[in-house]
Amino acid sequence: MANDPLYILLCSGEHEKIQMAAMMASVGAVSERPVEVFVSMNAVLAFTKGSAPEERYRGGTFSDLLKAKNAPDAMTLFRQGKELGDLKMWACSMALDVQGWELDRLEDDLFDGTLGLTKFLSDAENGQFITL
Amino acid sequence: MELIATLKLVQVGDEIEVLSSDKGSANDIPEWVKKVHHEMVGITKEDGYWSIVVRKTK
Repeated sequence: MANDPLYILLCSGEHEKIQMAAMMASVGAVSERPVEVFVSMNAVLAFTKGSAPEERYRGGTFSDLLKAKNAPDAMTLFRQGKELGDLKMWACSMALDVQGWELDRLEDDLFDGTLGLTKFLSDAENGQFITL
Repeated sequence: MELIATLKLVQVGDEIEVLSSDKGSANDIPEWVKKVHHEMVGITKEDGYWSIVVRKTK
């Protein structure tokens, strides 16, 4: 079905993968497709509240190109997806526990809450699942 | 994204013109318009940019 939900498991802290997750999430959401993003492992660090782009994003050749070409910031794309479509974002409760963090350490207005992997995987049984 | 945000604000039947120097937009906007059932009015390659016109249908 064209409007099957899209579930994105974002683990990597690489800029390129975070950017691709943001692009897929925002495009999917504005294309009338429900999207849920589960952020865990090193990806959590990229969502640290108030980080400057140079400390938020680490990557390779395309990371440098994205910055040089002033590509839309991944955090902005996620926010636009939430504003314009049906996009939910969840922070991995285990990753926050390991860091000793609460949700308020992450960017405002992005996350709908914390979630465990088991619940996310269970929900994702009804849609398309992508891991980055 | 600016196109999508703008389409939410205008009336059904209104046309929006996007001027983009990004070839990706020239490819992706018609696909998005088709997917969400708005209407492509036209796409024109100008000197260094594309003019993409979309009509809101719903």
